[in-house]
Amino acid sequence: MKLKTWILTCLLVLLFAQSSKAGEVLSVDIFGPGQSKVNILVLPARGPGGPGSSALAKSFSENVQSDISYLPFLRLAYMNEILGGDPSKGLKADDIDFKPLQLGRIDLVMTVGGQGQEIEARVYETYTRKLLLGKSYSQVDESGVPLVADRFAAQLMRVLTGKSGFFDSTLAFSKRVNGGKELFTGSALGRGITQITNDGGFNVSPSWSKDGRYVAYTNISDKGHRLGIWDRGKRISRLRKFGGNVAISPTFTPDGSIAISLSINGHPDIYLLDADMNPGKPLAPSWAISVSPSFDLSGRKMVFCSGRLGGPQIFLLNRDSGVVDRITYEGNYNTRPSLSPDGRFVVFARLTGDGHRIFLRDLVANQERQISFGPGNDEDPSFDPDGYFVSFASSRNGGTKIFVTTRYGDPAKQIPTGAGDAMAPAWGVAPALN
Amino acid sequence: MNAKRLFGSILLMCMLVALGAGCAKKTTDSMPASATKVEISDKDTDWQSKPAPVTRSLSEDEMRAAQREQAQRDLGNMIFFAFDSFELTPESRDVLSAKADAMKKYSLFNIVIEGHCDERGTSEYNLALGERRAKASQQFLNQLGIPDSRMTIVSYGKERPLDPGKSEAAFSKNRRDEFKLQN
Repeated sequence: MKLKTWILTCLLVLLFAQSSKAGEVLSVDIFGPGQSKVNILVLPARGPGGPGSSALAKSFSENVQSDISYLPFLRLAYMNEILGGDPSKGLKADDIDFKPLQLGRIDLVMTVGGQGQEIEARVYETYTRKLLLGKSYSQVDESGVPLVADRFAAQLMRVLTGKSGFFDSTLAFSKRVNGGKELFTGSALGRGITQITNDGGFNVSPSWSKDGRYVAYTNISDKGHRLGIWDRGKRISRLRKFGGNVAISPTFTPDGSIAISLSINGHPDIYLLDADMNPGKPLAPSWAISVSPSFDLSGRKMVFCSGRLGGPQIFLLNRDSGVVDRITYEGNYNTRPSLSPDGRFVVFARLTGDGHRIFLRDLVANQERQISFGPGNDEDPSFDPDGYFVSFASSRNGGTKIFVTTRYGDPAKQIPTGAGDAMAPAWGVAPALN
Repeated sequence: MNAKRLFGSILLMCMLVALGAGCAKKTTDSMPASATKVEISDKDTDWQSKPAPVTRSLSEDEMRAAQREQAQRDLGNMIFFAFDSFELTPESRDVLSAKADAMKKYSLFNIVIEGHCDERGTSEYNLALGERRAKASQQFLNQLGIPDSRMTIVSYGKERPLDPGKSEAAFSKNRRDEFKLQN
């Protein structure tokens, strides 16, 4: 009797909640304070007319779930959280009993169907029974399934958050090859890993141009440091030598120029190169080391690492006023900053007693928090184009690999990059190479 | 008395001869003949009978290679640094002073100074720090009369550790300047 009353009460509450929400569509504010998790249940893949699903649809479903596991604002729910098990008889809203899903606090439910080379997938909001996203894909083959799954996950993220930079970006990174390092690209989920340079020596510090057409990097060999520029359209790279001894941390500004640390005046300072690749006046010059420039989307704010006050610390240059502010005060060794596109947050590597860790500084609230937790060393942090995800290199599992977390410090997930140490991930807006 | 001493001496000699003969016999018995021969021939004779290395005149290339090898040996000593530092220690200054003398001696060769760091620093800052380390050596050698034109700098940062270990002992080996002859 008590149980019945309880269930009835719950149903009444839910019905009330449903009617009050009827006009709204679920959206997730990934940048809001106190990030909330949305529960999503992926129902077992089935055939369009009955339970028999194609292997492709099953594989698609598994891939989408793997993709969802990278999104910290979504929690994959299990079927055993639902009273009575699978509440669906088909793929569409009419075939789904939403009540047990609502009772199980499932916010979103996804159905996947497939027959032959056809795949269809839908995501419903359980409280409004509204279709949030529905896609069908035809002529999909086995190798295409992960890419189709990534597209679907990207669209789901965009519907929920308005952003999908994580899925739409291509990562460039440096990887050990034959005793040196070469550059590779791949999706943020590690798909389509491709070696893009073959220069010999050590290729480090890749940086994408904002239009995704070029990657700038440093080549180190017995010929010294050279600036490398890889042309995505021509698939070739050119190396250029500068006066002085170094060409460190080349970075594209939003308007397509390159900022790079050169020692043409006797010590490494950051210079902006003109269209003919000639360095102009140094930005925020000093007598000490200055490296690792990173710009916001306006290009007017630049964070960088400098030893001008002793050990390496992070500084911010306002290019309009020329004012340089020190922004890290804790720790003796703060390096490799990355500025969020909106210019509000800086992520950087701090040497702690346990090794390097990634920290985030909010330049508006003037607060700092640790967002990576080792073990080993966490280095080379880099914001994604949305300023939400942060990729970095970590030695937590032995060799150095690339991981991704968010600016909220969500549990880091490894991005698969194949055998060999991988480091210095950089996000670019270019779609993956085909 | 004399006869007694004589007899004693003869007896002693006999005993020594017997002992010597016994030993000799034992040696020849227990070792293969060839082994004994090798041992004997290894002593002085072979050294003396070897042709002297200077009997054949070396070609110019060979002489240069030999000189280069010797120069690399004389110039190759590394110097080491403290963490996040490019300051030369007194030991490093001694090594560099000797290097300056050697560079004056081998005036035909130019050198590459490689600056290296340990893995504790981060990649980009270490590339700059490695340059500072190499530059410190270059400036010191320059003060001792070696023109900058004879020295090239390459900073490898932490890309080429000497010791891949994770201990302070390994790290301290990796924070170094290496000196190589230019090709």
